[in-house]
Amino acid sequence: MKQNKVRITVAAVLGVLAAVLIVLGALNMPQRTSEKGAQIISDLRNRSLLIATGDGVVESYVAIAKKEATAAAKAAGGGMSAIREAVAKAEEETRAKYSNSTTDYSTLDTTALTEAAAAYAEALAAYDEVALTAEEDYIAAHIAEAKAAAEAEREAKIAAGEEVGEEEEVKVDMSGFVATAEMTALLAEADAQYAAVGEALRTIYPVLDDSALATLKDTIGDIVYQRGDSFTVQYDRYIAAGSGAAVSDKAGAFMIRYADDMIYVGLALIIAGLVVLFYDVLVAKLGIPRVIIGLFFILLCFMALLYDLSLPTLLSNTIVRMGMNSIMVLAMVPGIQCGISLNLGLPIGLVCGLVGGLMTIELGLPGWSGFLFAIGVGAALAAVCGFVYAQLLNRLKGEEMSVTTYVGFSIVSLMCIAWLVLPFKSLKLRWPLGTGLRNTIGLDSTNFAHILDDLFAFEILGFEVPTGLLLFMALACFLVWLFSRSKTGIAMQAVGNNPRFAEATGISVDRMRIIGTMLSTVLGAIGILVYSQSYGFMQLYTAPRQMGFIAASAILIGGASTSRCKISHVIIGTFLFQGVLTLGMPVANVLVPGSTISETLRILISNGIILYALTKSGGESRA
Amino acid sequence: MAAEYVLEMRDITKKYGENTVLSGVSLKVRPGEIHALLGENGAGKSTLMNVLFGMPVIHATGGFGGEVLLDGKPTHIASPHDAMLKGIGMVHQEFMLLPGFSITENIKLNREITHPNLVSRVLGKNLETLDMTAMSEDARKALDSVGMSIDEYTMVAGLPVGYMQFVEIAREIDKTGIKLMVFDEPTAVLTESEAAQLIKVMKKIAAKGIAIIFITHRLDEVMSAANAITILRDGKLAATREIKDTSIVELAELMIGRKGEGVVNVAPRVAPHERVALRLKDLVVEMPGEEVRGISLDAYEGEILGIGGLAGQGKIGIPNGVMSLYPTEGSVELFGEELKLGNAGDALRSGIAMVSEDRKGVGLLLDQSIEDNIVFNAMQIKGEYLHKLGPFTLRNSAAIRKEAEEMIRELDIRCFGPTQHAGTLSGGNQQKVCIARALAMNPRFLFVSEPTRGIDIGAKRLVLETLVKLNREQGMTVVMVSSELQELRSICDRIAIVSEGKLVDILSPDASDADFGLAMSGIKPDEHRTKGGSAQ
Repeated sequence: MKQNKVRITVAAVLGVLAAVLIVLGALNMPQRTSEKGAQIISDLRNRSLLIATGDGVVESYVAIAKKEATAAAKAAGGGMSAIREAVAKAEEETRAKYSNSTTDYSTLDTTALTEAAAAYAEALAAYDEVALTAEEDYIAAHIAEAKAAAEAEREAKIAAGEEVGEEEEVKVDMSGFVATAEMTALLAEADAQYAAVGEALRTIYPVLDDSALATLKDTIGDIVYQRGDSFTVQYDRYIAAGSGAAVSDKAGAFMIRYADDMIYVGLALIIAGLVVLFYDVLVAKLGIPRVIIGLFFILLCFMALLYDLSLPTLLSNTIVRMGMNSIMVLAMVPGIQCGISLNLGLPIGLVCGLVGGLMTIELGLPGWSGFLFAIGVGAALAAVCGFVYAQLLNRLKGEEMSVTTYVGFSIVSLMCIAWLVLPFKSLKLRWPLGTGLRNTIGLDSTNFAHILDDLFAFEILGFEVPTGLLLFMALACFLVWLFSRSKTGIAMQAVGNNPRFAEATGISVDRMRIIGTMLSTVLGAIGILVYSQSYGFMQLYTAPRQMGFIAASAILIGGASTSRCKISHVIIGTFLFQGVLTLGMPVANVLVPGSTISETLRILISNGIILYALTKSGGESRA
Repeated sequence: MAAEYVLEMRDITKKYGENTVLSGVSLKVRPGEIHALLGENGAGKSTLMNVLFGMPVIHATGGFGGEVLLDGKPTHIASPHDAMLKGIGMVHQEFMLLPGFSITENIKLNREITHPNLVSRVLGKNLETLDMTAMSEDARKALDSVGMSIDEYTMVAGLPVGYMQFVEIAREIDKTGIKLMVFDEPTAVLTESEAAQLIKVMKKIAAKGIAIIFITHRLDEVMSAANAITILRDGKLAATREIKDTSIVELAELMIGRKGEGVVNVAPRVAPHERVALRLKDLVVEMPGEEVRGISLDAYEGEILGIGGLAGQGKIGIPNGVMSLYPTEGSVELFGEELKLGNAGDALRSGIAMVSEDRKGVGLLLDQSIEDNIVFNAMQIKGEYLHKLGPFTLRNSAAIRKEAEEMIRELDIRCFGPTQHAGTLSGGNQQKVCIARALAMNPRFLFVSEPTRGIDIGAKRLVLETLVKLNREQGMTVVMVSSELQELRSICDRIAIVSEGKLVDILSPDASDADFGLAMSGIKPDEHRTKGGSAQ
């Protein structure tokens, strides 16, 4: 009872805080486009312009003082050394005079400057808009040409036996781009506006001459307008330039600037309050790890918003990574259902899939036929290997966890040798010198790179949807779900659930475990091909070693235990796990630049969650 | 030290929650006496001993009522270790010996004789050197006192079972100041000659003035070894007798007793006795703890045959053997046809269904829904509740739901619905799900093994009534295996009693308590009567 009261109090406090923040944010948000917002921006812009020009003005005074000093020295009939001395002295004196005198900017009359700067910004924006479309048109017209050229270069390199790196994004050479008439006209208008700005500045700093203004043109242009300007961007730019003092209502400006962040924090606080309030229900329904990871994911989303990272892009990356990993995670399902628990020997299936992929490239099969061939070969190999692997597991019942782990490690090491000696001939696969296959084999448009990702792909609100990939994932999940409802599937689950029960019904425990293990291995083979086509590379050697663990922890995060799982666990788990990784990297980079904290996070989460699941493998909890 | 009794337990009462397992039980043991403690399974013998040894399970569940006196003085026994210090020793039914250690080391385990050395002076007593010579001498003495000539340096691993028992006894004897020893079914695993030897040793120990509490179900052993007998029944004291004032028949009667009315009332009838439904011939089942050592038995079509006996005597092995859940030899004929042993599927296909005694272990898929549990066998064995969808054979959800709902209604399974997980049901309702699964097979022959174990009285009645109804209305032959004699007597037409893996006798449900008591301790009542008669 007491605990409940505390909880309700905490939730209420959080709720009130959230309400205050959201109301403040909502009130301040529209201010950005209002007169007040415009006033703040124009004040800041004026100050930035004055500071920047002020530096130019000092240079002008220095130039004038030097000229005068030279003339005076010459007139006094001094030699070269006397002139140099006089000039240096004059420069020093002038700099000291003007730099140290802190101009009181607030006393200056900036009405004219405000208007001129606003007009100049508008003119620049108009020009930029037109320029952007013109550039895009140019790129669209020349991209095919550039691609063909890049491809030809690549082919030539391969033919010559040179090393070919990953396929880079083709860039159109912009040197042939000529400004359109419209652009020229707008640019001229902008220049006219700049002249007005120059005039306005000259009223404040009479010393500015035309050459000084010409030097300052780029600086002033950058201050006034940059591509993608918005209230926040401009505010941050001007504050960074040291113009903060120009705003009279500092707190008000701050609130307007951070209005969106206040709303985000408010929403986050509401979620935190709800979690505090319904903690018991959540933990009972989802289990502690899913609650923690789920909250962590939400936290990362909010942090991405706070740091002005593009959340739609990150989420769409998450979707892609969910799709590319999902089949490998799905491979855990038959394993858990048939009672071999987490199939950490998944690398067996992965290497079979890789061999299938390699054969496709070796034979030069293009596109879909190549992808389906790779899946066919990979699945067939995986079925055979899975059968042998299942025999091993059936002889070592009760020790599945260690057996699968070590089989996984062993097969990766064995294949490290195999990759060196397999008789593949294609130069795309082999090292140009010596023997053996490359570490990373780049896929390209001649085989199956992005073949699923690009199928029916479309973009909505900055959110790229890899339709084909998601459809393939849905199809695979559906088939596994159908199997789990078939007679054999039900018998297999009974074996996993309670082998003695299954035996009492005359079901062959060994046979069902073989079926489950083979299915899991085959799904692993298909999974790595789906992963590779999306990633754009096939990774050989030690790369598959960790993948079994990643897949295992993903399904566990989804809510599966070592003896129970559902398709929903696959989807939720893969999304959360990949989401945390995808969002974790950029957020971590903002927090601790240049760190590998995201990789550490991955290892921590994937191994931690497996350990947690093992402590729970007594399996008393039933959802 | 002039107290008349070395141990006196007065008015011991113990409840586990609402469930009273002991009420007002008293036990008095004189020094140097062999005191037999008798009772059926669940009569309260082990609970009483748990109280005596201060087992954590007793303290953790709220302690007990009554008092324990040692040498006439009230005592509180806090833990098994405390009991050991106070001179109470236990010879366990399952040997608590370390196989990789020698006999000496096992006897002296945790009571080693040591002398200090350089390291131990610095780092403490735990690192003192073992005095093997002194320890061996002690062990030798203890072994001699139980009449074992075996070398004290022999490893325990590989010793015959009987020897281990004696090593265990030697260990208890070696403890200084031991006043009272408890032997928990010590003869259960021994051969006849070993058992005789053990009783000789017990008498020898008793002659030294050490009292012995002898827990057993073998009445003849009691008669030959004990001085006094305390009999428990249903957690109550049934009787205390001196050996000279009683007879084996009286003991058998006291042990069984009348437990009030029958659980269900069944109209009397003439049991069908025409066609044999199931014929077992020399059935041998290697079910650990419930070995069947050659049983031949017929069950007639349309009857309810009971199989009774004490726990661990092999009665449960019979249905498990017929279903081939454990390695089985011998022959089984079902309705005149030979049943192939070795695969549970074959037994199920031939029309036998079984409700297992191990509900959670064998009987249910705890993580699956009630409906999936009910139709599982019918689906896997008979291919029912399935439909075709292209290349797939899928579960027919609608048909499954219909069958499950019908069963839930018919058997009154208390649940939230057919999709509730079986693991979340109460024991009685789990049992009903097991029965429902057996019935979904439409069997010709039904084995039910311990159907009322661990379920409440209401569910018990319903389960038994269901069995009678199936038998009377559908003519289904039922073989019910149960430790609850009263239940067997209330619904069965005949009751076979099994002891030590062998069939002792087939009794009518109306046979006397004494007959059942004798049969359960392995003595055929008729033979005893003729023997007794000839002696008179």
